[in-house]
Amino acid sequence: MSYACLIVTAIVVIILLKLVNKIRNLFKIPAVPYLEETWWGPRDKSEEDDSIKPFTINISDEVIEDLQHRLKKARPFIPPLEGIQQQYGLNTNLLNKIVEFWRTEYNWKERETFLNKFPQFVVSVQGLRLHYIHVKPENPEGRKVLPLLLLHGWPGSVREFYDIIPMLTTPRPGCNFVFEVIAPSLPGYGFSEAAVRPGLGAIQAALLFKNLMIKLGFPKFYIQGGDWGAIIIHHMGTLFPEQILGLHSNMCSVNSLKSNIKLFFYSFWPTLLVSPEHVHKIYPRLAKLANLVLETGYMHLQATKPDTVGVALNDSPVGLAAYIIEKFITWTNPAWKELEDGGLTKKYTYTALLDNVMIYWITNSITTSMRLYAETMSAANRTLQVDSIPVTVPTAAARFTYDLTYSPTVLLKEKFQNIVHASDYDAGHFAAFEEPKILSDDIFTAVEKMELFHKNQHSS
Amino acid sequence: MGALGKLFIIFAVLVIFVGYRLNNLLQPSPPPKLEEKWWGRGDPAGEDKSIRTFKVHVADEVLKDLKYRLSHARPFTPPLEGIQQQYGMNTNLLKEIVDFWTTKYNWREREKLFNQYPQYLTSIQGLDIHYIHVKPKGTNLKVVPLLMLHGWPGSVREFFDVIPLLTTPQTDKNFVFEVIVAAIPGYGFSQPAVRPGLSPAHAAMIFKNLMKRLGFDRFYIQGGDFGAIILQNLAVLYPEVVLGFHSNMCTVYTPLSYLKTMVGAVWPTLFTKAEHVERVYPLWESFVHRLRETGYLHLQATKPDTLGVALNDSPVGLAAYILEKFTTGTNISHQSREDGGLKQYYDYADLLDNVMLYWITGSMPTAVRLYSETFNKNFMSLGTGRMPVQVPSACARFRNDFYTSDGLLKEIFPNLLHLSDHEGGHFAAFQVPDVFSRDVFVAIEKFENFNSNLGAKA
Repeated sequence: MSYACLIVTAIVVIILLKLVNKIRNLFKIPAVPYLEETWWGPRDKSEEDDSIKPFTINISDEVIEDLQHRLKKARPFIPPLEGIQQQYGLNTNLLNKIVEFWRTEYNWKERETFLNKFPQFVVSVQGLRLHYIHVKPENPEGRKVLPLLLLHGWPGSVREFYDIIPMLTTPRPGCNFVFEVIAPSLPGYGFSEAAVRPGLGAIQAALLFKNLMIKLGFPKFYIQGGDWGAIIIHHMGTLFPEQILGLHSNMCSVNSLKSNIKLFFYSFWPTLLVSPEHVHKIYPRLAKLANLVLETGYMHLQATKPDTVGVALNDSPVGLAAYIIEKFITWTNPAWKELEDGGLTKKYTYTALLDNVMIYWITNSITTSMRLYAETMSAANRTLQVDSIPVTVPTAAARFTYDLTYSPTVLLKEKFQNIVHASDYDAGHFAAFEEPKILSDDIFTAVEKMELFHKNQHSS
Repeated sequence: MGALGKLFIIFAVLVIFVGYRLNNLLQPSPPPKLEEKWWGRGDPAGEDKSIRTFKVHVADEVLKDLKYRLSHARPFTPPLEGIQQQYGMNTNLLKEIVDFWTTKYNWREREKLFNQYPQYLTSIQGLDIHYIHVKPKGTNLKVVPLLMLHGWPGSVREFFDVIPLLTTPQTDKNFVFEVIVAAIPGYGFSQPAVRPGLSPAHAAMIFKNLMKRLGFDRFYIQGGDFGAIILQNLAVLYPEVVLGFHSNMCTVYTPLSYLKTMVGAVWPTLFTKAEHVERVYPLWESFVHRLRETGYLHLQATKPDTLGVALNDSPVGLAAYILEKFTTGTNISHQSREDGGLKQYYDYADLLDNVMLYWITGSMPTAVRLYSETFNKNFMSLGTGRMPVQVPSACARFRNDFYTSDGLLKEIFPNLLHLSDHEGGHFAAFQVPDVFSRDVFVAIEKFENFNSNLGAKA
């Protein structure tokens, strides 16, 4: 071989090696990051009161009168364009109906009593006074009581769990355990205080809730969540495996480079990936991605300018209602976009929907709730690459057909390496709110498997 | 740049090149022929085609209601520690503006300012179009008609300082302008469409018809933001009526331009002036910056009706949403200033005039619909944004606005007679009216020379 050949080969080999290293780096699993126990609240550490205080919602008459006034004086809505239902966003003919109901039939005092039916508390964690519902089973009847942390998302609240909590805390025949539920409001949402300094993204929220559970006396516990709740519990599974007995998510997804490459190749033979009835949930890729673009404008805005849009939303109750309730249409069933009434009453009552809106309104929390998007998608948080770190604690994935994305088990296993239970249901994004029985049944089934997993671990 | 980066660039270049060859085949398609649509209610047969004079007069109730809302605005969420405008409008700044609005801003005085110019309404294709029409006073110079269009979240108000400058003879120019400043349908006092489909192409038709109604068979056009987009469509669809096009937001979005931009990543000065390279490269930074500043666009292009409710019901909310654009749009570096840099270039009263125009007409919800009508398959497949503008063109680039490199401009503006660079931002006419007007005069002079030479040859 001539010298020239040798030199060229050497150069090619060096470039290839550099490329291989670069490519390997793309697939490398990052280390679990060290998280600072940041003090998030306005008060000084020395003056913070650590005790757990009972909490009751008690809104002053002024707030309700002011709300009524704003509803009455809401500026007339622009009518929808001819022939349009929800395709340009919330249909204002529908909004008129909802606002009319809000003004004339929705009774806040009654709803306040309803919302106070579960014992609620506030406790300070890392400087933030966190609100949570804590329900113990009334009569466990000899069952093992398992602590379960339940996390909501955006634009939801603890209200989503009011039907499922009794189902989770009531003993079932044939099941030797029952749950004790802790359902907090996310920081900056509802009755939980908001951070006063930047940085509180989903990863930091995971630390916050681990600390909450430890403070409440639960060194080990189960976790369940959807939307931001899911993202936070996934991080908890990654970061604190010693504390997490198992995680049940109704929004399990994976979005790594590897999984996207696989999705591309599987597009040529989809039934290798999932059974035929699920293929339409994943393919065609381009249509799915186009739909995501159609539905993520809010996310784009909230991840970049939450404080701008928050002003209007916090000052106009009808505006807030439109912004929030739109999601209950499109994310429960995208087919509802073709309905002038948005299909809402098929699964929800206006009362329940407005309870959720009221939680944002009476606590002035819409702006701080949206900041979670900006904090999580910040460069600082993305460089931690926690999404790329696997979850090895027992995991259950409950997939809902009409949710924003669908991830088949085969792909989920890349990140969630210990899936003990995976199931598919025909319902939407707000699973606990829309189908509490389906979700609670799934949780019990999943945790039964997880308990068995732990039993086997101990006996082996 | 790393080996992986270079590999990616080469791959991307190949993909775009192949796509370009397959898609474009070098021959631009002819401009589409649009159907003239009826956008309003009522019977086309009974349309009142008269030109009616118009004056802004807001009822006392509206002002009283506004005052009530301002003084009963719910408390703002304070900004996070150490943050200026990075999470959006800083509410400490907003508080200062709202205090001014509540205590010092006098609408009746501002109304007089609005009514200083002759205004009219006339129905075009079923919609009342509002416009200001100012003719130069007593001059022997040639008077040339100039149609000017604003964008979002602007209004005719942006041109108030420019109008007297353009309608006043310059010592060194042998012509002067007769200015028609119109409001886009769905903005301000121009009525909104009642049915979907009023894209920039159809808006262009409406303005062509407006000028025809006013007696102008041929005219000059000037615009920025959506004004530039609509007028670019006008120039492409109806070149026979356009004497020349001056844009302060020349943009090029053809496959070839993407190719050039990517190739420029390895050889920046190939298509971009050396002193402007930092405005385009590194590409990743430009891309991330664009992503950070287009959340509003994404939401308005998909769910305008959802967003519109809150913006039309809360004046402080409306002000925050609009004025945020005047901070970053004037200069992105203002994002790190608690005062947003607003007082440096604008008076709060002037800024609020623009906000008031949206408030008193309740037009924000219909204004944001323009984004949905633009960013969709129907309009984009027309391809007017990728067709060259054959009429004489001028691009005025303002430093802090969107930037298009010299080497890309000729794809859309093959007849570019004037290219200039100035200090200033996105709202050029509003921020630097002197520089802006001067540039318009210089450009149109070149157009006039070009057109008269054409005429001489004919």
